[in-house]
Amino acid sequence: MDEFNPQDGVNLLANLDPVIHAPARLMILTYLYVVESVDYVFLMNLTGLTWGNLATHLSRLEEAGYIEIQKTFNGKKPQSILILTKAGRVAFQAYKDTMKKVLDDLPE
Amino acid sequence: MKEMLSLKTAERRVFQATLADGLWDVFLGSFVLIFAIAPLLSRSLGDFWSSIIFLPFWGLVYLLIRLAREKVVAPRLGTVHFGEHRRRRLQRFTIVMVIVNLVALVAGIVAFARFNRITESGTAPMPGGLSSLLGLFMLMGFSLAAYLLDFPRLYLYGMLLGAASVVGEWLYQNHGAAHHGYPVAFGAAAGLMILAGLVMFARFVMVHPAEEKGNLDG
Repeated sequence: MDEFNPQDGVNLLANLDPVIHAPARLMILTYLYVVESVDYVFLMNLTGLTWGNLATHLSRLEEAGYIEIQKTFNGKKPQSILILTKAGRVAFQAYKDTMKKVLDDLPE
Repeated sequence: MKEMLSLKTAERRVFQATLADGLWDVFLGSFVLIFAIAPLLSRSLGDFWSSIIFLPFWGLVYLLIRLAREKVVAPRLGTVHFGEHRRRRLQRFTIVMVIVNLVALVAGIVAFARFNRITESGTAPMPGGLSSLLGLFMLMGFSLAAYLLDFPRLYLYGMLLGAASVVGEWLYQNHGAAHHGYPVAFGAAAGLMILAGLVMFARFVMVHPAEEKGNLDG
């Protein structure tokens, strides 16, 4: 039997970042990765997640240091601006590269 | 969720979400109206003033659209600042459209000076092919904009306006429609674009009901 190597093919899956790997959080980070910033309402419309569900996932991502939530005002209305941090960008890129490697290695 | 891993699709989806309110369609339709109404006004106001009179009209439409965006769309859709990729695309689009419009302006002035002769019975027929050329130019211009912007409806509008130019001339030559048939053909095209925009706007308002939302604290 081959020796276990965490850098080999499917074994890489064990190294996947669990914060990013949850489908809803992966979707959130995917959108944040391609924009400069969005507000909470825009992200909710894009993802189709409910208010509370989105808030829970954003809190988790903020705790991990992957996103920054800036509370501002748009006129008199409070507004939450969401930005992917540098650490979040690096982590997402690493996740993307790992997934690509694993999926590319799989036979047809 | 099935499109999640395609970053290009995600980026395109973000951009297209900002176009789903139909307000751009209304704005473009109001621009096209000039082709329908200016010929009707040219007899009484002259060619120059019949076109210039549209500036305050466009200004008013623009203000109304800004107001709708600020008061109706933004609270429902939210706001986004595009990433570097989209900003570069928009810059490229702006440069290309400035060039296309300058070429169109020069070509239009040359064609107008050479061929447009207002006679006692109305305008003289345009030389064969000029209407087709104008239609082709509109189709190409709108298709280019659609491609650069990732805005597929512009392909449809390009075809609509391209056809309007040809159909207008055909109506003029075969059925005696006034002013090269432009008031009818471009009026119908502009009406369709504005109607499509208004339907999308109404749908947008229904799909995104107004709610007090905007921050994570509730």
